[in-house]
Amino acid sequence: MAAEVSVPSTPAWARWIRAKLGRRTVPYLLLVPGGLWLLFFYVAPVAQLAAVSLQEGTFETGYLLTWRWANYTDALRTFSSQFIRSFVYAGVATAAALVIAYPLAYAIAFRGGRFKNLLLVMVLMPFLTPFLLRTLAWKVILADSGVVVGALQSIGVLAENGRLLATGWAVVAGITYNFLAFMTLPIYVSLEKIDPSLIEAAQDLYASPAVAFGKVTLPLSLPGIVAGTLLTFIPAAGDFVNAQLLGNPQQLMIGNVIDSRFLRVLDYPTAAALSFTLMIVILSLIIPYVRAAGTEELVA
Amino acid sequence: MTSSTEREQRLTGPEAGESPAVDLTSVTKSFGKVIAVDDVTLSIEENQFFALLGPSGCGKTTTLRMIGGFEEPDSGDIRLYGEPVTGLKPYQRPVNTVFQSYALFPHLTIFENVAFGLRRRGIDKKQVRNQVNEMLDLVKLPGLTDRKPTQLSGGQRQRVALARALINHPRVLLLDEPLGALDLKLRKEMQIELKRIQHEVGITFVHVTHDQEEAMTMADTIAVMNEGQIVRLGSPAEIYEDPRSSFVAGFLGASNLLPVASVDGRNVVLEDGTRLHAPDGAELSPSMSLGVRPEKIRLHAPDASDLPANVIRGHVVDTSYVGISTQFLVTTPFGASITAVMQNVDPVSFRRGDEVLLGWNPDHSFVIDGS
Repeated sequence: MAAEVSVPSTPAWARWIRAKLGRRTVPYLLLVPGGLWLLFFYVAPVAQLAAVSLQEGTFETGYLLTWRWANYTDALRTFSSQFIRSFVYAGVATAAALVIAYPLAYAIAFRGGRFKNLLLVMVLMPFLTPFLLRTLAWKVILADSGVVVGALQSIGVLAENGRLLATGWAVVAGITYNFLAFMTLPIYVSLEKIDPSLIEAAQDLYASPAVAFGKVTLPLSLPGIVAGTLLTFIPAAGDFVNAQLLGNPQQLMIGNVIDSRFLRVLDYPTAAALSFTLMIVILSLIIPYVRAAGTEELVA
Repeated sequence: MTSSTEREQRLTGPEAGESPAVDLTSVTKSFGKVIAVDDVTLSIEENQFFALLGPSGCGKTTTLRMIGGFEEPDSGDIRLYGEPVTGLKPYQRPVNTVFQSYALFPHLTIFENVAFGLRRRGIDKKQVRNQVNEMLDLVKLPGLTDRKPTQLSGGQRQRVALARALINHPRVLLLDEPLGALDLKLRKEMQIELKRIQHEVGITFVHVTHDQEEAMTMADTIAVMNEGQIVRLGSPAEIYEDPRSSFVAGFLGASNLLPVASVDGRNVVLEDGTRLHAPDGAELSPSMSLGVRPEKIRLHAPDASDLPANVIRGHVVDTSYVGISTQFLVTTPFGASITAVMQNVDPVSFRRGDEVLLGWNPDHSFVIDGS
């Protein structure tokens, strides 16, 4: 073919592949490594999980695929309160993280000056320590004999025998803290990209600083907000470490139930059914959310 | 030249009755240790197309930003139509800006971009639609209202930026290198277009540019800035014909500067003793240079008669043909290299090595002090 002659820098093997398979097949070839990875480490496990969720039996007698859909209805009936609590906690923690992260990212992006990178490192620094360790540290901070509880009791916010540890507040606070960087970074990136002259242009066109923020800065940082809330909400809904370390049995989340069903009770079908349900609920929540936010940048 | 001095006085002096559109008095602005604008005093008349011209870093953009309210002067006074605006926010000033990178809102449609200012001022919806369409017609950009800025070409974006500012009927429109991002052909088109729009709307335009040709093409008055100061103010012709400093002479077009050794009456004497006539009315001193633009010089054969008053003998060392004209590089016995440009009307041509006479009318030259 004439085209090959005019491109002499193409290696021989590449020309051979192109000649054998034709130009159109080559891009698909490039998809093969990623496709295989997804097949082995995503599609296969999910299929396996789906199969397990429809099995019947006990650990001792073994499990058999009997297409027992009742696994789902049973699991949901038994653990509905943990399910609802998971989404409430994840929702509150995501909202709290947004409220904390947005001003933080804004300050770094627009007021950070030459300390920008240092400030970003400081946001990330705590996340170099393991998740478990960080959460354990919170246990110490919120302990009944700790400084925080003492201070809150002395100013009357907390009752005399009131506590923070083993409450829903502690769990939500832990989740908020643990996912703060995932909220801060995407928002920072989208704010950083905003050309400062756009804000000047808005002010030039009779927008007060507050209106300029609402009409220009906020909409332009929306992709970061959407990415940040997803990166926080999705893992938060499935989290079990915070509830386990900072809560009590009344604050168990669906992650704790799945964890104990899989690893302690060894009730695999129920655990699989719960995992699958969690996945579907999260998907059905975020798809309309991303659609509504209309962030072309994120989707396209 | 007398005409330019008169004009300068008219521009800088207080005018009876009406206040100038923009009035800067001893405005200074520093960024850290760098003095961006150094004691600038300037008046811009109403309905003028005014250009702030200078190399990058000369303080022209800072001056514009102070008029717009994006920077506050360290000292000095800024007035718009007689009203002091120092301390007022950009949205409190009767000016609008066309930004260098256009600064169109990427998340809004063209319609919403243009309507932005009207909406902020709470103009009724029906009026907004009429005015936006009217304005897009003025900048010759109808029918693109639903597009996003990224879907437009550079020239189209430029027009949207202009419409977005003009729709608010500012008393002064500030333009910060508005044509900088366009290619040459489009830039030429937009120069004419900007001029037309300025005539049509009758608003004072203050235009910042580093492109001398752009300033000359469009502006009624040019202020040439260098190192934070205004070094020359006047109409394009005045500045070009009588630049008064070697900086302005070099920045606006090309010029030949001949160092003067001594002054003898209305004549100047060069280092080798060549006597030349100085232009009428120029103040003469021994430390000055005599300047003459390349296109004012004609080349003559050594035996030619009917020569102009000023003549220098030399040898052609280089010629370059550029279609409408030919450029000659001539060395003189006293070592100066002189550039002359002649229109290609006559078939007469001089070649490298030819002996020639360089002649010009003394009134087509200018003097520059102290260089």
